[in-house]
Amino acid sequence: MSNPVSFIFSGLFVILAHGAMLMNIFFNGNYKNTGDLALLAAVVIGLDILFYIIMLFWKQNTYTVDFMLILILNMSTIFQASFGGVHMDKDVIKHIITCIAAIAASRLGFWLVRDYRRIQNRRAYIWAGIGFLMLVILVCCGRRSIWIDLGFITIQPSEFIKPLLVLACATSINEQQHKHKFLSFNIVWENVILFGVVAAVCLFQWWCRDLGSIPTFAAIYASGFLLRICYPKTKFSKKTLIAAISAVVLICGVGIYFAPDYVRARLFVDVWSDTNGDGYQQSQALIGIANGGWFGKGPGFGFLHNVFAHENDIVFATISEEWGLLYALMMTVVLLFICSSPLIFPPRSYFHGTMCAGICAAITVQMALNIFGSCNLIPFTGVTIPFISAGGSSMVTSGLMVGMLIAAQNPVFTKVKKKKKQGNSLLSPLKQRRSA
Amino acid sequence: MKSIRRCQSIITLFLVIFIAGMSVLVIKINREAPFYMMHSDKHELGMVYDRSGDVLFDGLHKGTYEDNHFLDIGNLIGDDSGQMENTLVAQNIDKLNNYSFSAGLVREGGKAAIYTTLNHAANRAVYDAYMGAKGCTVAYNYKTGEILVCTSLPSIDFTKGYENIGSLESGTLLSKAMCGTVPGSTQKVSTVISALEIMGPDLLFSKSYNCTGQYTNATGGTIDCHQSWGHGVQNIQQAVENSCNPFFAQLVEDPDMPLERIIEIYRKLGYAVNDDKPQFLDIDGIQCDRASTTLTNSSDFTTQWGCIGQGDTLVSPVQLMMWQSAIANGTGKMTIPHLIHHVTNVYGDTCDCAVTKYSDELFSPSTAETVKRILLTNGANHYTWSIPNYVVGVKSGTAQVMDGQEENSLLVGFLNDEQHPIAFCILIENKFTTGVTTEQIAVTLLNALCQ
Repeated sequence: MSNPVSFIFSGLFVILAHGAMLMNIFFNGNYKNTGDLALLAAVVIGLDILFYIIMLFWKQNTYTVDFMLILILNMSTIFQASFGGVHMDKDVIKHIITCIAAIAASRLGFWLVRDYRRIQNRRAYIWAGIGFLMLVILVCCGRRSIWIDLGFITIQPSEFIKPLLVLACATSINEQQHKHKFLSFNIVWENVILFGVVAAVCLFQWWCRDLGSIPTFAAIYASGFLLRICYPKTKFSKKTLIAAISAVVLICGVGIYFAPDYVRARLFVDVWSDTNGDGYQQSQALIGIANGGWFGKGPGFGFLHNVFAHENDIVFATISEEWGLLYALMMTVVLLFICSSPLIFPPRSYFHGTMCAGICAAITVQMALNIFGSCNLIPFTGVTIPFISAGGSSMVTSGLMVGMLIAAQNPVFTKVKKKKKQGNSLLSPLKQRRSA
Repeated sequence: MKSIRRCQSIITLFLVIFIAGMSVLVIKINREAPFYMMHSDKHELGMVYDRSGDVLFDGLHKGTYEDNHFLDIGNLIGDDSGQMENTLVAQNIDKLNNYSFSAGLVREGGKAAIYTTLNHAANRAVYDAYMGAKGCTVAYNYKTGEILVCTSLPSIDFTKGYENIGSLESGTLLSKAMCGTVPGSTQKVSTVISALEIMGPDLLFSKSYNCTGQYTNATGGTIDCHQSWGHGVQNIQQAVENSCNPFFAQLVEDPDMPLERIIEIYRKLGYAVNDDKPQFLDIDGIQCDRASTTLTNSSDFTTQWGCIGQGDTLVSPVQLMMWQSAIANGTGKMTIPHLIHHVTNVYGDTCDCAVTKYSDELFSPSTAETVKRILLTNGANHYTWSIPNYVVGVKSGTAQVMDGQEENSLLVGFLNDEQHPIAFCILIENKFTTGVTTEQIAVTLLNALCQ
């Protein structure tokens, strides 16, 4: 541990933050029996303490994002348990379990990509994983559905494609230097494959009617694409860039033109003229936010908990109504802090940098789709806010991605016995010197 | 390190776009939150007051008021029941919302209110003066645009509910001052303005036409005069005072009055001529009809009647009153009327103060002065006994409606008094069924506003 004082104070800060939220419920919230609140407090504080104990066994340069992760996860638990009045029912217990799963996933993500060579040498598995998930969706999901219903739990396999796509973008970045002459063009085959895979995933999502995920996949690919353009010796011409942007605009235009009726209805719906139809959730969400004002009606005292998907699709509004817009913004700030951590603790290699950009793109786009969509700034999609919305698949994949983000700040560079141009090109000049 | 910075730039780009979006969202929510709340079942409305603080609408429903306190302004002010849409409350309900994003919903002590320009006492006096007759009266300050009186009969006291809505008389739930009506001879004011704009005062006053009680136009149509034995040879001043139909039919047919120019001036005045799209005025959200007519051929029966005030011509009383303001001001520019003087928010802070606005120049100031002189002369010669103690410029009108079965009586005019610059339009429906005259209403109106 590089700084035990920082570790202890960060931990105290998180416990105090959760304690303050629980006190807010105690004094201003809606709860029928104190037992539920006490149980919630025990779970939250207990999970906090357990997390710190576990973290003691992991040697890292920095634990900042880890603390942010437990902060946001238990904030989410408190929110979910207090919607409409404090309750510790099976949905809340399920949410707590998914939070624990998210922590486990973050450790897995951390372990997987901390040493870039481990994943770089196994990138065939990433492609295979994406293909496997698409096959699972095709075979296991109901016709044109995105869910696998196991009875006790439903899984959304497309969520797991997101971290795999991030890794696909990051592991293929150094292939930029390997151009092949094809006809009269210089082709990077891995780029072509990656583009093909992304296009296939997007088309697949279209087919599955999970259009909300397409912008997230597109953002992950866009961040990787932009970094490819910037890759040393890429010599990516401005004409190619303009052509790529034009192609994206064209694809979007064609997509909207040929969009099914239910999509077009969402794109052009006036929520206030259809408050009982397509505009129901958004209009109720906006009324809820207005009802809550800056400081909220008090935990559990809103009305949005009666609206369908209050705990995921319009969760920002539900939090705003009960806890206030300020609190909802603070929650957003925590997520933004996690995303911006690579700016404070820079990644040490281009692989990790590309990975961080992809993760940041995925998280911010998901937040934007959920928050702006539910507040009628953009079409409503039903995408989740990472860690805040209820949903196991989203929670686990978000945890995995944050674990990858933490890994980028605490990388391990295994020594290379035989100096290879290809491998070393992935390291920043600073690390190359260190490795040497 | 340069390559790492590129990664950080991409991350920064995503974060900046998201933060910008969040900023827009917070600003939007802050601005539109009262609107959102008005769409919920959770809202507390404030009050509407007249110019002296008398209550015209009580959103809290907690005050006690004398019976039929709201009757005279019922269909203008309206309520939040949704039964009347084109009313002040319905169209400005967001201004009455005792809510702000910071304060939330204020159930007690909220100060959101609309302070109107109306004079409730004068309104009530005019309403009572109708003595059960139907019609409407609208009057405003032609210098400031403040609507002082706007009553329409029959009306409703909305505090008594709408249980008997099925048995309400036609027109109860709307302000007739805002609706188009056949203007009768008050339309001749527009024709005089057109003639002055086209010919100029010298040529117009040099013209004289003979009235024998009936005029047969070039297409064989006959225009009857209300005085069957005719008015003889008259000039424009005499024709206005006599309200002579044959004179105006011949004026419209005169080669010095090309129809294209009449149409051009009518359109400037706000008429939707022939197939033009109907135009509306917006008076603090209340939609008000303007004017429309059919003008196809100078010798055409309908066209001539259109310029006289029958035919297809429809004008709202508010529009008739506004033309009087352009005349009375001597500028040819109408003063735009308004009902809301100012609004207070939930904290009682004043916002949305009214500002006097004028229309574009509809006709030249010299035309305005000439018409003003004609109307004042008419007032002096014919109305000094019926509207005593006031220097008024007026034009009366009788409009046949319901296929000639009923006749409405109208009086438009202005008070030529610097202290009380009042323009008005008075309409009494089916005048034969009531003993009330427009002049009596005018006296009541002016007494209530000036004394």
